[in-house]
Amino acid sequence: MSVAQQQSYQLSDYLEKLPGTTFRKLYQQPSTAFAIFRRMLPPLAKVFVQALLYAPAPLLLSELDVWVRPEGKMHRDRALSILRSLHIIQITPPGKDKPQEMQLTTNFRNSMRLALEGGGSHNSFGVPSTLPVDPRIDIAYLDHYARKKWEDILHYIVNSVPVDGETGGGGSSFSGGPKASVKDLLLIGRLVERRPDTRGGVGITQAGFTFLLQEANAQVWTLLLLWLEAADRAKSAAEQAKGPASNAAKSDSIDMLSFLFMLASLELGRAYDTDALTETRRNMLPALVDFGLIYIPREDTRQYFPTRLATTLTSSASALRSVSSGFSAATANNLGDAASLGTTPDSSGASKGSIIIETNYRLYAYTSSPLQIAVLALFTHLNMRFPGMVTGRLTRDSIRRAIGFGITADQIISYLASHAHEQMVRAAAATGRPVLPPTVVDQIRLWQIENERMTTSAGFLFKDFDSLEEYVSLSSYAEEIGVLMWKSDRKRMFYANKIEQLRDYLKSRKKAE
Amino acid sequence: MVKAVRGVLIECEPAIKSILVHIDSTHHHEFIIEDLDETHLFVKEAMLHILKQKLEERLKETYRPEEPLEDSD
Repeated sequence: MSVAQQQSYQLSDYLEKLPGTTFRKLYQQPSTAFAIFRRMLPPLAKVFVQALLYAPAPLLLSELDVWVRPEGKMHRDRALSILRSLHIIQITPPGKDKPQEMQLTTNFRNSMRLALEGGGSHNSFGVPSTLPVDPRIDIAYLDHYARKKWEDILHYIVNSVPVDGETGGGGSSFSGGPKASVKDLLLIGRLVERRPDTRGGVGITQAGFTFLLQEANAQVWTLLLLWLEAADRAKSAAEQAKGPASNAAKSDSIDMLSFLFMLASLELGRAYDTDALTETRRNMLPALVDFGLIYIPREDTRQYFPTRLATTLTSSASALRSVSSGFSAATANNLGDAASLGTTPDSSGASKGSIIIETNYRLYAYTSSPLQIAVLALFTHLNMRFPGMVTGRLTRDSIRRAIGFGITADQIISYLASHAHEQMVRAAAATGRPVLPPTVVDQIRLWQIENERMTTSAGFLFKDFDSLEEYVSLSSYAEEIGVLMWKSDRKRMFYANKIEQLRDYLKSRKKAE
Repeated sequence: MVKAVRGVLIECEPAIKSILVHIDSTHHHEFIIEDLDETHLFVKEAMLHILKQKLEERLKETYRPEEPLEDSD
């Protein structure tokens, strides 16, 4: 089983599929251009963009060789390939008489400049509300609210796990749950599926497990993208019923996506004006409330508050390990702030590292969070539960069962490592050893390998080349942009896991000839 | 003219590969598109799931992993 297939839906996959015209419209918003720059680009690509941003004329592609050391060619080509796939740069096709040049695409350049210089009246970074703000709504309040909403969603997914009696603590303390619309979305996204034999009538899928163990930030994006696609489909179905109508549906989804990028640029704890939003965006608000990305006071719907889930949307992907640790990091920063102290959500075990694991595979978790216990039960054989603590063992069966669900060994290991008890972290630091016992880590990996006799990846096999030259040029291009997985010079075949850019390359070569 | 064929690349040990090839040859060659080399096969995407199941069944007949020592709780 390949890891790539198990990854649930990611923002980069979604963006890659969008056509160039969509990007041109997206980049009309400075906040979007800036958010893509912040979140989607590797460091080298950022350097290129910064260098090109105020360049008066296109840059010769060959000049890049001066900037990048020969051994960094791989990184350079990958950075360029990402920049191209996101339609941030344009490179002139290779011609016989003219050297290749590159420059930023017009909309991206203009919006990026606006974002940096703060000019224009685009309102792209939100319009703060001028109305008085209820003093009860502070950062701690918003954190508590967002955490509750998001954990409800996670609970709903976790609770669809078929639990064996002793570990089924999740159900009892579980109340409310997400809105029906959110539940439908999880069904559509195949994170859960209808199964009459389980308690809630739904059962978790492989994608659902992967989702659970993802970091919070990736989780939020996965859900949002599912939602965007569902909205797209609903609209295009409606359009079709009316006959060949306008492009309205398409432009709506562009506006929706740029709204998400805008939310990410807003300031936590500040009120923004709902009247300044377009109709499409106003229609999004109820769903965003259901996800916990924004808060709207019941008494006054003219204001909306972005929560931490929204404002961290475009921060670097590894910034938040999990919702709870993200929140605890955030609340730790605010400890000086007396107002937030009293209302800080109770820092239950979930918000700190709480797991101790011994070399004999025994596991102790100082937590009473049903969510964390349920997650642990996915891959641990839990056998005892005390107030504030559970104990269990990692066994071959428990790990293999988890792997059968679609969880990978690396996900389990990284979950254990990031939730390790601070005592483990301290002891490891003092002796200079890794946090988790190496025997346990190795054994978890071995248990996985034993189950997986092969690795697979979906993609395309290129064959029947007319000439050796054609084979060499395309396969080396595939290698440069990092999609080449296998090749045989003798058979003149190669396998690539993505096709889009190779197709463009072939087309541009044909033109040049 | 160059062709791009959609499918799944499988990487595995030569021993596993020979089992897969055998499964393919006993099922009217409905799995494998291209036998690439000692450790790689290119198979039909839609059939991957069934191929995996067949492999599991085949391995279960021959393979008994050892359980690490139990300790008392």
